[in-house]
Amino acid sequence: MTRLVRAEVRKLRTARVTYGMLALSVALTAIFATLEAARAGNGSSGVAPLSSAAGLTTVTTVTGFSMLLSAVLGVIVASGEFRHNTATFTYLASPDRARVLTAKALATAAAGAIFGLVSSLVATGVGLAFAAGQGDHIGLGAATLVGHGAGAAVGAALLGSVGVALGSLVRSQLAGVIGVFVWGVVVESVIGGLFTSVRPYLPYTAATTMGGATLGGAAFGPAHDLSGGAPLPFVAAALLVAGFCAALSLVAARTTLLADVT
Amino acid sequence: MAVIEFDGVTKRFGDLVAVDRLSFTVERGRVVGFLGPNGAGKTTTLRMLLGLVAPSAGRATINGRPYRELKNPLHVVGAVLEASGAYPGRTARNHLRIEALLGQVSPARVDRALELVGLTEAADRRVGKFSLGMRQRLGLATALLCDPEVLILDEPANGLDPEGVHWLRRMLQGLASEGRTVLVSSHILAEVAQTVDSVVILDHGRLLAHSSLAELTSAANGVIRARTPRAEELRDALVAEGARAQLIGPDQLEIAGATGEEVGTLAAERGIPLFETATEAADLEDIFLRLTAAGAREEVAP
Repeated sequence: MTRLVRAEVRKLRTARVTYGMLALSVALTAIFATLEAARAGNGSSGVAPLSSAAGLTTVTTVTGFSMLLSAVLGVIVASGEFRHNTATFTYLASPDRARVLTAKALATAAAGAIFGLVSSLVATGVGLAFAAGQGDHIGLGAATLVGHGAGAAVGAALLGSVGVALGSLVRSQLAGVIGVFVWGVVVESVIGGLFTSVRPYLPYTAATTMGGATLGGAAFGPAHDLSGGAPLPFVAAALLVAGFCAALSLVAARTTLLADVT
Repeated sequence: MAVIEFDGVTKRFGDLVAVDRLSFTVERGRVVGFLGPNGAGKTTTLRMLLGLVAPSAGRATINGRPYRELKNPLHVVGAVLEASGAYPGRTARNHLRIEALLGQVSPARVDRALELVGLTEAADRRVGKFSLGMRQRLGLATALLCDPEVLILDEPANGLDPEGVHWLRRMLQGLASEGRTVLVSSHILAEVAQTVDSVVILDHGRLLAHSSLAELTSAANGVIRARTPRAEELRDALVAEGARAQLIGPDQLEIAGATGEEVGTLAAERGIPLFETATEAADLEDIFLRLTAAGAREEVAP
């Protein structure tokens, strides 16, 4: 298994899409963290001032894009094997397809962890720069910031693995990528907005709360400004997303993964 | 000893029978041409051998085991199934390094494999920028990386220019001289005729012939073409005597299973004028076309 994971890591390292996704993740994080920081403390924005722990947290936990893009990378890693006909060489070298799926999930999780960590560093940098620029007191301790960074890394890692499972299941790269965005941006937002009690259990939302975001804070639609409800504890959220990944992987392993490679 | 064995292998895609109860073996150290027209079922057959396509029935094995059960499969079998099997955004060297990691061979072999197929200069170019011929070479480099004893090549000459075909022929001859077992598919017999020991001919998923080139040629030798204004009458007379004869034109017959003397004598006895008879030396390409055409005729017959 170690050999397979190393090979998948090397595939990621030698593919431009990995660096492209990382760059996009950094750029989107920087833009949205800057927007949140700029509107913090304005009465109508709903974002507390950066001088408060809550306001600074809103900015330093803008790591949701890294998680979405980690999932997209996972989809590309898995479905790309069929798009570029590289599945033939992959399965000739490693005929056990379930092991290949596991290796891809682990390698993408490692890349996702980097996405989450880098994104957290960028968001934290933006938040601290704005706070320092305004001469605000830094209301968050180092341990909290490190905890949020670690949470973002774990959340992005898990969603990366979810992306691999999804890509293996649908095989179509376009459908998989669109599926990730629609789920993260639309479906969870709508479900989270309509059924607030369900919101903590939605996989993307749960992953973002692992990174310290408030419940719904990383949502894009109606659920964004809804208050109420508590996020799942870190371990529960991690288990939930991991379980979602395992379920998707199991379905893929029993269906599309067994399909003929023609 | 059989290295490759197909035993009653069948593959159905819905109602379509792509491969139909196929059985044959390839002995160790032999170079076998796997021939058939496009759509004959060659690629499906090879993919079943390599565990990429699941047979609907039967069993395909290498060294007595299905591919998926082989330990270190890249050390046993090298395969080229399609020219575009490498990620286009990756360089040839990086593609081979990944394969070397999977095959647990020294990274130094990457350079040797690139040199073997003449891609040293292009090693650090992205595969997406490669011509079809260069991608075929990269596929061969991948197949040879772990020095396997068995090579499975599916239409390796597809898209190659004449120089590329010449290069491939020399490469196959080199592999054969090293004692490797090679199963190479093609829809053009001439591509492999100079290299292979024997041929397996497939059409509509069914085995039409499996024999050495010499056997195939000698079996087809003695085909006689005869020209007579009473072709149908002569055909019936020959068939009644146990020969095989068919009309190939209004006044022309193709006859097998009888000598020129026997045809001439029979025609004289029946008073059938013969304008011309000629015994043809069988050309491999003709044999191939004749066999596959016969297969097609059987297919359309009620």
